Amino acid sequence: MSFTTRQLDNGLVLIGEVNPSAESAAVGFFVRTGARDEILEINGVSHFLEHMLFKGTERLSPCEVNEAFDRTGAQFNAFTSEESTVYYAAVLPEYLEEVTRLWIELMRPALREEDFAIEKNVIKEEIAMYMDMPSFDVMDRCRSLHFGEHPCANSVLGSIESIDALSAGRMREYFNRRYSPNNLVFACTGRFDPDRIFAAVEQGCSGWPVEPADRPMEHCPGSGLRRRIEKANLVREHICLMSEGVAAQDGRRFAAHMLACIIGDSVGSRFYWELVDTALADEASMQFSAMDGTGVFCSYISCAGNKLQTVYGVLERVFAQLAAHGVTEDELTMARNKVLSTLVLKNEVPMGRLVDLGFNWMYLGRYCPIEQDVEAIKAVTVEDVVGLIRDLRPGRFTCLTLGPLTESLS
Amino acid sequence: MMTTTPDTHILDNGMVILGEPMPHVASAAFNFMIPAGAAMLPDGCCGAANVICDWIFRGAGERDSRQLSDAMDRLGLHRMDSVSSSHLSVGAAMEAGNLAAAIDLYADTILAPHLTDEQFAPARELAIDAVHSLDDDPRQKVALHLRDQFYPHPLGRNTEGNVAELEQLTAEQTRRLIARRFDISQMLFAVTGRYDFPAICRQLEDRFGSRRGIDAPEPQLKGPGRHYTHIPNDGAQVHIGLMTACVKPADEDYYDARVAVSVLSGGMSARLFTEVREKRGLCYAIGARYHGLRNAAGVLCYAGTTPDKARETFDVTAEQFRGLSEGITQDEINRAKAGLKSAVIMHSESSSNRVGGIGMDHYLLGRVRSLDEIKRRIDATTLGSVRDFLRRHPFTDFTVVTIGPRPIDVEQQRHE
Repeated sequence: MSFTTRQLDNGLVLIGEVNPSAESAAVGFFVRTGARDEILEINGVSHFLEHMLFKGTERLSPCEVNEAFDRTGAQFNAFTSEESTVYYAAVLPEYLEEVTRLWIELMRPALREEDFAIEKNVIKEEIAMYMDMPSFDVMDRCRSLHFGEHPCANSVLGSIESIDALSAGRMREYFNRRYSPNNLVFACTGRFDPDRIFAAVEQGCSGWPVEPADRPMEHCPGSGLRRRIEKANLVREHICLMSEGVAAQDGRRFAAHMLACIIGDSVGSRFYWELVDTALADEASMQFSAMDGTGVFCSYISCAGNKLQTVYGVLERVFAQLAAHGVTEDELTMARNKVLSTLVLKNEVPMGRLVDLGFNWMYLGRYCPIEQDVEAIKAVTVEDVVGLIRDLRPGRFTCLTLGPLTESLS
Repeated sequence: MMTTTPDTHILDNGMVILGEPMPHVASAAFNFMIPAGAAMLPDGCCGAANVICDWIFRGAGERDSRQLSDAMDRLGLHRMDSVSSSHLSVGAAMEAGNLAAAIDLYADTILAPHLTDEQFAPARELAIDAVHSLDDDPRQKVALHLRDQFYPHPLGRNTEGNVAELEQLTAEQTRRLIARRFDISQMLFAVTGRYDFPAICRQLEDRFGSRRGIDAPEPQLKGPGRHYTHIPNDGAQVHIGLMTACVKPADEDYYDARVAVSVLSGGMSARLFTEVREKRGLCYAIGARYHGLRNAAGVLCYAGTTPDKARETFDVTAEQFRGLSEGITQDEINRAKAGLKSAVIMHSESSSNRVGGIGMDHYLLGRVRSLDEIKRRIDATTLGSVRDFLRRHPFTDFTVVTIGPRPIDVEQQRHE
């Protein structure tokens, strides 16, 4: 593996990690913008804009964009979260330059009114789709309850109302502010020639104008509020817990990942033995998300209505025991090995590596070789994890439960 | 190009051992394919394969449930267990140095599971809960019902299960199912990544070699089910599942079929995405894919849309299937082939992805195709061969399942 980086005069950072034995390459633009950078009036604009980038440029129509990608056989797409928008493609090395040039062109979109109108329908269908996915819906609602006034409370999709009210003009204005080159990172992994790919980026992106693009970075401990919301067509209880985490810039993030694994990995965790092994819940898992300046532990549990009160009781007990007795050396060993093998398996493939490489740079502004992450995970001690439990108090969680109407519970 | 020399060894009792080395990775992945999938079990116990898949891990060999799970976690195993129509598959991906120890733990679960009454109850309860959870996941539910309705019974049997039948299932009955279906002579073991093939063969010979096969029977097939089913649900969208017959994986026309399905729904420039989403904005999620079993195959399509657009979505989607052979361009064929080929290569870069592929190849075709063979066969398809295939196998007759506030009138379409 060899790493190369360069910065253009307009602030755009180019990073690349070459793996000469890979069969493919992956390329992406990481934009430091998401729902947390929106005001309520234009909520959903980051995600809608992500869709609109595929609608082409002054030169390319939407169909021509799709055809140009498909001719290369690329696996390409994009995703938007609370804090970033990522455009990516996994591709065979011989097509990498072509796909890179295509992404460069698309990063300056036409945002045509007629495409905007059609895509608005698609966005509203996507909102409807997630309304029929309670495991997703409950997390979206819980995030809003947990973050309260903090901008990370914003929904990524927005609402039918905010999308209906959005104009192409407001989107253009948002684009100009947030897609400034100093707010983007270009990343490439796998088998490629950095000189050649970077030259293409330099040629295509050097003329992009610069705008100030900042974001407030306030930490959020979370509201700790608890709610239950009822929906007539639901059958199961969907429970989401969120509690205070550490930021992506915080060295304790590795310990936080291990803590989430000990509490809520899909197998062998405390949630697993207390809730799933005993068949109280058919799903119970926890993840840690490190974010810009803040972080959150997020759990999802699915159970039958008649077990809900028992499940709540077990959850309280799990967190009380953690606070009182911490974690064991044996638990930490198992979590370490699971976290390490997940990391290694993911980074074995150029597309998986691209995501870690890009996000590390977005959050830390520096290159983290995989070996460095492996060492950091191996260095985590029981004391580190216990320190986190003491500082963050995961038992002080926000809880949102989405379930059927109370009268239908027997 | 990646060297892909498949390793093969067959034990005296018939158990097949397959391997495909990936010299540049630090990981290994393995998979035991046991002929105890949903369709391989008798009528009246739908969902039993899921109970078995959970129960065999609740204590095996010298370890109780907790000790077994902890031993797996100490090895950092990324577990991969699943139930398909034909197989119950158990396996894992891991750092290559832990491969032998991991195989030993999994051999215990297959050869010496404890299967206690005490552990049966939660295993069955979890399987029942998983079926109930489908009611809150209409997209997944529509796909399961569609396969059940499309395939000759019991090939498409719901892999999650049936609540009434699961409630009747007993521990004793499930033990008998395991004894009848854990047939070593029909078991496949596949490994990919970094491994020592002779050492693995010795280890498996040592663990499985003395077991005899029992010649478990194949299921008897009965004709297809209903044409259209609607399942009421007062949700935000109508979830439309549509399936039509296609040639089987071993068929001579298989690669032409795959290219044809890719023209229909391979990438974002394919017809379904272009007509349904890009031009009309009817859906967010729309797509079709080839779905192949050994004895039957189809093209499975999903579309999710709000109720007032459901009819138009269905009509436009069905029209893309029916009219697929019309006006196919060389450019469409080129794009379909490029997408299929690069997907094959990129999919095989990960040991855990590839391990399922080589085992399934052997089951469906009796041998493992090399990546070069797959690429060559895709390359050999032409505009003429794909058109010819679609003339002989048009996509005109549909099995349809919808979940949503109200049914859609699919009959009108059928007789037009």
